[in-house]
Amino acid sequence: MSDVIICRCEEVTEDELRAAIQEGACTITGVKRRTGAGMGLCQGRTCRRLIASMIAEQQGISAAQVMSDTIRPPVRPVRVEDLLCEYTREEAETGRD
Amino acid sequence: MNRQSAEVVIIGGGAIGTAIAYYLTTWGIKPTLLERSDICSGTSGACDKAISLQSKTPGLHLELAMTSAAMFSSLGRELQCDIEYYRNGGMIAIENESQLSIMEAFVQRQKSYGLPVDIVTNEEARRQQPALSPKLIAATYSPADGEVSPLKLTFGFAKAAKQQGAILRTGVMVTGLVINHGRVEGVLTNQGTIPAGVVINAAGIFAPAIGRMAGLDIPIRPRRGQIIVTEAVPPLIRGALWSARYIVAKHNPDMIRQEDPEAAKIGVGLSAGQTKEGTLLIGGSREFAGYQAVTTPEAIGAILRHAANIIPPLRTIHVIRTFAGLRPYTPDGMPIIGPVEEVGGFIMAAGHEGDGIALAPVTGKLVAQYVASGIMEKEIKGLLLSRFQKAAIES
Repeated sequence: MSDVIICRCEEVTEDELRAAIQEGACTITGVKRRTGAGMGLCQGRTCRRLIASMIAEQQGISAAQVMSDTIRPPVRPVRVEDLLCEYTREEAETGRD
Repeated sequence: MNRQSAEVVIIGGGAIGTAIAYYLTTWGIKPTLLERSDICSGTSGACDKAISLQSKTPGLHLELAMTSAAMFSSLGRELQCDIEYYRNGGMIAIENESQLSIMEAFVQRQKSYGLPVDIVTNEEARRQQPALSPKLIAATYSPADGEVSPLKLTFGFAKAAKQQGAILRTGVMVTGLVINHGRVEGVLTNQGTIPAGVVINAAGIFAPAIGRMAGLDIPIRPRRGQIIVTEAVPPLIRGALWSARYIVAKHNPDMIRQEDPEAAKIGVGLSAGQTKEGTLLIGGSREFAGYQAVTTPEAIGAILRHAANIIPPLRTIHVIRTFAGLRPYTPDGMPIIGPVEEVGGFIMAAGHEGDGIALAPVTGKLVAQYVASGIMEKEIKGLLLSRFQKAAIES
């Protein structure tokens, strides 16, 4: 029994995560869809590695072998206003904003 | 070869496949569900949470959605799981006169099918949704629209099905079908052959690949929808909110081309809602971009520009994530459900595009009833694959 909070943004506990892994989640995304862990403000930046090691432990593999979740833009919170500008793919690819 | 016994095999572990698995168990049938990745890992895990009646074309589509909506109210209890279903109503924001005339006709036709829906003035709309722009000219409102967590729904169906004896196998890739004398006899997988008298193709955007294994041409194509997730904020959007452009993008894309060619190219319309946690989900777009479930800066910018025109307070809220889902599009916007003429025992249940969550309960029920009793409801007769084959011959 552990009510230690692993995902602080969405307040998901170790027990809840273990139950999801037990149920068949074998990727970080699978755990996320079952529990909401990693869906909050930091988008899994804090809990991602902890969850990977829990999955790894269950499957007897190394944490590096656990499939990473999909990291999507904007990566850190950005105000809607700042995304309203008409920027082109070319600008996005060369990293300008 | 590893041989397992299974009478009914479902291919696909999304909302549709898991719903069928669950409803089959209510008939005492214990199906085997095969999923190549994980439960709820595709389209059903990358969508918004609206159960909209207002966006459905008056006719069979709306009738199916109304039947399904009536099932949602008791579904959480039935599945013994909180699916976060709320019937909070829905509103469609109308920006100009040409949209208003289309929506007036649309609402009239929906009313004739018994959907409670009305056009309200901007003032009335803003009393219910204070975040709406004062520049809107009107809105529609229906108390019948609702919301559900697509994740909780799909995992809820999966869990209940499993508890009642269904076998759910994830990480199993279907590689072929065993067909003898025009009847399906089994499913070939990367983990052995599974004997099956009935095979249900609930593979969504991958349904055409399964169809080809049976020699069938299934006209489903992946259509990408992009969605934006914001930080949690205090209650801002009540129930479901769409823009008339969303409805027009769904049913009459040519009209948006005249209003805003750039937005028309990516099929931009507003579909917004707020989760229990307070995050806003803001969609969406409709693009044919192959099987690439990625987000693009062009679409995210276009969606947000449209959204901020309708909901001005959005401008100062932070975006924390964007995601994309691939919706199983069909040429007539209707799902493909029921048996096929060419192969006995092969049953379709795919092609719901953006309506798979809303239509999952009714699809599950209709398919399970057909498999268990052989009774084909009139709804299925209108959704058979053969409608496209006939259309092809006629043209």
